[in-house]
Amino acid sequence: MSLGDATPTDSDVRAAFRRATAAVSGRSAGLVAPLLLFDLLVFVVPFGYLVRISLTEQATAQAFVEGTWSLDGYRFIAESATIRREFVFTLGFAAVVTALAVGIGLVYAYAMWRAEGPLRVALVAGVLVSMFTAIVVKLFAAVLVFSPNGVLNAALVGSGVIAAPLTLVNNVPGAVIAQLYIVVPYAVLATFSVLATVDESLVEAARDLGASRPRAFLAVVLPHTVPGLLVAGVIAFTWSVGSYAAPLLLGSGSERTVGIEVADLLLQEFDWSAAAALAVVVTTTVIAALTLAYLLMRRQGGASAEVAADG
Amino acid sequence: MTTPVLELDGVTKRFGSMTAVNDVSLSVAEGELVCLLGPSGCGKSTTLRSVAGFETPDDGAVRIEGRDVTATPPNERPCTMVFQNWALFPNKTVQENVAFGLKMAGVSERERHERAAELLSLVEMSEQADARPEELSGGQKQRTALARSLAPDPDLLLLDEPLSNLDRKLREAMQLEIKEIQATLGTTMVYVTHDQDEAFTLADRIGVMNDGRLVQTGPPSDVYTDPDDRFVESFLGTTNFVECTVAPAETPQRKPSADGGLADDRVPLETPLGSSLAAPASDDLEPGDRVTASLRPERLSVSVDTDADANTADDPGAFAARATVENVLHRGSTVRYELTVGDATLFTERRMADRLDVEPGDAVMVRCGSRDVSYFGPAGARV
Repeated sequence: MSLGDATPTDSDVRAAFRRATAAVSGRSAGLVAPLLLFDLLVFVVPFGYLVRISLTEQATAQAFVEGTWSLDGYRFIAESATIRREFVFTLGFAAVVTALAVGIGLVYAYAMWRAEGPLRVALVAGVLVSMFTAIVVKLFAAVLVFSPNGVLNAALVGSGVIAAPLTLVNNVPGAVIAQLYIVVPYAVLATFSVLATVDESLVEAARDLGASRPRAFLAVVLPHTVPGLLVAGVIAFTWSVGSYAAPLLLGSGSERTVGIEVADLLLQEFDWSAAAALAVVVTTTVIAALTLAYLLMRRQGGASAEVAADG
Repeated sequence: MTTPVLELDGVTKRFGSMTAVNDVSLSVAEGELVCLLGPSGCGKSTTLRSVAGFETPDDGAVRIEGRDVTATPPNERPCTMVFQNWALFPNKTVQENVAFGLKMAGVSERERHERAAELLSLVEMSEQADARPEELSGGQKQRTALARSLAPDPDLLLLDEPLSNLDRKLREAMQLEIKEIQATLGTTMVYVTHDQDEAFTLADRIGVMNDGRLVQTGPPSDVYTDPDDRFVESFLGTTNFVECTVAPAETPQRKPSADGGLADDRVPLETPLGSSLAAPASDDLEPGDRVTASLRPERLSVSVDTDADANTADDPGAFAARATVENVLHRGSTVRYELTVGDATLFTERRMADRLDVEPGDAVMVRCGSRDVSYFGPAGARV
């Protein structure tokens, strides 16, 4: 045994070290406890309750029948062509919003990273102000800007770029624009936080070795930014799959998201087991997407974590 | 004469109100290794970055192989750079890092692979070809960075304090390796460092920089023994500076010495050493001017006799004075002697094997030949 010649003092030290680390990990568990309790109370328990309601019998006279067990809710949503179409539309809507949010977020974050002085301050302020504005205010602002007689159309028609106002509200593009209003600031910050850790000498090294600006970006900056883009994508996708306010206020009446459907089932149809079942299915889908993204990030994460530590 | 590989012509770079590089002109011949040496903030890195293309000079021109590249972007310049933090691409393997420049140049994958393998064997990194930078030690990162910069076969290799993040032993080993690689490949190099030992080990020519200016350029031995400027003298090695004043014109010492020797070519100085020094005659020196005399510790001779006139008659500018040993400091391989000479303190060093048999309080004679004292005028220029 290699430790055979260890003096008693050594093992004493080791034992003390073990005790110390055990005490530390005990303390860190204590520090995490409030967070776990919060998660449990605010997410796990309500979700369990939701699952339970989704498994009750459908009833016509009341929201749901307590104490019954049934797959009625799931059967109902599986058999409804409308809900299936809404489900597909919601996933497509979320995918489009995610792609646009990540793209816009990357461009904006890159501009923020390269800008200096007042321009940078303005760009950062733009993100933060938008982020701290209440959703309702933000969405009504979007209506003012994008409606046929809104600011944007007035400017475009006035300057002669287009002849007639574009229809940018109460249709799918309107819902997408409104949803982007909500998620882009988060996508920008998620991307920027990673971009800010790019070692600029890496860009210089790439340029020095013959890479043009775009190539240096592709070879050095973009691979480094991938974890940030994944986070941005997760935020945008999760939020958009569950979107309610933006498509309701600026979307079309015929193309409804699952979120709107859940609200309808709850409040108009008064069919809580079907509403709960639909919510559970959506939530499960989102969790599956998150797990996938997490696995992707784990594969990408090692290198970038190292860079962050180096920087 | 053939075209120099690099020519800096009055390069000036300002950041706001600060002039980082001030009218620097330098010419580097093919196969030469020139070190830019100076304290931090002296503008040496900015000068190098102007050559690489990361800074655009406000004035002056940068020419590589005779072509004006002052406004050329870095990716179109025929030079590469080794960065202080090495700047290896973290998401690429060692081999991919080394091949990057070739890939950008459109070299085929097979050729890239061969060339990268060749360079990795040159820097003895073949075994780590598939490793990622994060798995490498500092020395290995340094070798990889060197191989990566050499791979595109640049006309000029720029090195920005590439060894400053390594410990002393590794740094000294790497200095010799860089020198060896330079001899093997014949690559022209401009090497920026603040470490004078490094500069003296590596350089064919040293350019000493201070405050944005290139103060003196020359072979290492010339720069050390024949400094143009007080800054060069103080920055390279250690020395005793003695503040003197040019003696009034009517002092008897100004008159020709009795034996008609060389005394007329020299200007006597009043010193705090209790003995006079004499600077070479110069039109720029007026009585009352402050002159700094530099007595290199290794040029001072110390002996236990106390005859002030011995051995000075044939060297009128020579310096001899009575001194008291103040302190004897053992510093490993050398011994340092601090001597009180008049109102000043001088120090000298001997190797352990040649140490003097003196103790604090002993009276000794300290001497220095006239050629071994350098004098610098009020503005710092050599007299």
